[in-house]
Amino acid sequence: MELNVSHLTKEFKGAAAVDDVSYTLRAGVYGLLGVNGAGKTTLMRMLCTLIKPDKGCITWDGKDIFELDGQYRKLLGYLPQDFGYYPDFTVQDYLMYVGSIKGMRPATAKQRTARLIKQVGLEKEKKKKMKKLSGGMKRRVGIAQAVLNNPSILILDEPTAGLDPNERIRFRNLISELARDRLVLLSTHIVSDVEYIANEILLMKDGKICVAGTPEELLAPMRGQVWSMDVSKNKTGACRRAYKVANVKTTPEGINLRILSAQRPSENALPQEPALEDVFLHYFGEGAVEEDVSI
Amino acid sequence: MFQYELKKVFLKTGGRAALFLILILVGITCYFAADVYYVNENGEKEIGSGAVRELRAVQKEWAGYLDEEKIRQVIAENNRIRHSPEALSKELVKENIAYGWGQGIAEIRNLLNCSYAEGFREYDYYRADALSEDEAGWFYENRISLLKKWLEDEAEDMFSEKEKEYLIRRYDSVQTPFYYDYMKGWTQLFEYSPTVIMIVMLILGYLVAGIFSNEFAWKSDAVLFSSMYGRNKAVVSKIGAGIFIVTAVYWGAVLLYSGIVLLYLGADGLQCPVQADRSGWKCFYNITVWQKYLLIIAGGYIGCLFISFLSMLVSAKTKSTVLAVMVPFALIFIPSFLANINSASVSKILSLLPDQLLQTEMALNYFSLYTVAGKTVGAVPVLLAVYTALTVMLAPLVYWEYGRKQIG
Repeated sequence: MELNVSHLTKEFKGAAAVDDVSYTLRAGVYGLLGVNGAGKTTLMRMLCTLIKPDKGCITWDGKDIFELDGQYRKLLGYLPQDFGYYPDFTVQDYLMYVGSIKGMRPATAKQRTARLIKQVGLEKEKKKKMKKLSGGMKRRVGIAQAVLNNPSILILDEPTAGLDPNERIRFRNLISELARDRLVLLSTHIVSDVEYIANEILLMKDGKICVAGTPEELLAPMRGQVWSMDVSKNKTGACRRAYKVANVKTTPEGINLRILSAQRPSENALPQEPALEDVFLHYFGEGAVEEDVSI
Repeated sequence: MFQYELKKVFLKTGGRAALFLILILVGITCYFAADVYYVNENGEKEIGSGAVRELRAVQKEWAGYLDEEKIRQVIAENNRIRHSPEALSKELVKENIAYGWGQGIAEIRNLLNCSYAEGFREYDYYRADALSEDEAGWFYENRISLLKKWLEDEAEDMFSEKEKEYLIRRYDSVQTPFYYDYMKGWTQLFEYSPTVIMIVMLILGYLVAGIFSNEFAWKSDAVLFSSMYGRNKAVVSKIGAGIFIVTAVYWGAVLLYSGIVLLYLGADGLQCPVQADRSGWKCFYNITVWQKYLLIIAGGYIGCLFISFLSMLVSAKTKSTVLAVMVPFALIFIPSFLANINSASVSKILSLLPDQLLQTEMALNYFSLYTVAGKTVGAVPVLLAVYTALTVMLAPLVYWEYGRKQIG
């Protein structure tokens, strides 16, 4: 079970959305982190054979996935970022239809549909039309359709977008349950989505994978570079200009800042355990954190 | 997969409303097609099934071969009625009574007006009134001589010598005497057939337009194309759904329309030649009424199938349902605007456009000729052959176009 990406490049109107990416994915959960426009969705769409690369190739166990065609897609489960559905289909009809286009026998599809509807907590809604479901429920149908064929490769593009915190936790747990013995690639710009469940994290920036490794491997170089310190209100601005600030917290005594710095920023700064959000900030900068990352 | 493709179309309110609309419009067309009246012996106009029965009975009395003797009898009967006190009276009721007497021979009288007309393209309603029984023998010869005269004068530059010969040969080869029977059911059915077929086509255009583009509009394209059968069997099932919808809706509507009209007005006369009615008098296709019906419904089906496939191709290519819906409208309405251009070459092209298949009833009466491999033929067989072939070619084109779509 090996999905290999080699020198993959895809350009849109002369700009590289994915730029010479090479990586090998095996069984396990991979978190693909990056700001909007980093190329995550383009990479995933190529992995799902939705678009063809301009350069490079993708192989599954040594064979080109575009040549494998349907045989490769048989192993695939995909939840797109912008998950669309058939508004007049009931949940059950929708999953049965997806089962048919995934090449499942009707009896198997029926069985899997019933089980997954239960698993994603939509038993009461199974006869409801898709257009009548809430955003969270639709997302749950989305994950159910992605895993309906018991795929070896599960690709989830921003699966938690638009979900409330409770649903996000529920969703995370669901992915953990489903991740056993498969290759799961989960793209997000919400660090906490992958922090607890990913075996490996890929940071993507400007179409390239800039860093990859286990959470521990990513966190290790950050040790001794994360600090917490209290400052007066009027010094906040100066600190933000001088350091990468991961968090600003107002306390009764003033302002508490979480700072990334190779040097101890001040005498009263206390060392902190690094978190993935700090890694994200380190690579993508403060703007990215403020704009794209829910911390 | 196939059943879900149908569900995608008909679970939508618009899909079900379209079917309902077809039923309503076919019903309205049937109402107009069945608008037949009979004037009774008191000069009163009757409508309804009783009137149809009466009209059928009086016209059936004149059923048979239109040989010289029969034509002589019709001229004599027409003259008898015309010279009756009722016909000569200025009173409307009496005039109506005289008209009522002539209903049995009315259709044959129309043929006399055509045959004894001054010119090939002329029609004088009162021409039959000026005929004497001695002229009965010219009935069939007139048909050919008027054509020849027209080809020599008015239409001299419209046809090549070969085409002129072809037309004369066709007129010569029609089997005479014509067998005449009551055929109001068929003539009414034919008259409104283009209306029904065009209504069906426009609604079919709406139904099939979304088959290939809805996935893009609903953003369900990524799931479809990333699935095992998304680029092959699913596309085949979409094409299958398109064919099924066109077939079921077209034949459902056309057979419903035909059934209602023929049940109400009667299906007599199906073995008569089309020339035995005024609407087909000039037709150079030597076919029976039944064969004309088959050509009309087969032509309509091929036309609907071709235009629907074209609509599906546009839908697959552009991902736009709106553009796809516009295809049938464009193919039906643009030729009618271009028809005003007075040019032989333009009209030759227009006669080969797919809208002609939707109105085969009219195409059968047009003098559109083409030379294919040295052989002169009418437009109808060319239309049937060309659009059958094009439809067959469009199916793999739609498959190829949709199957290779990229979701960027």
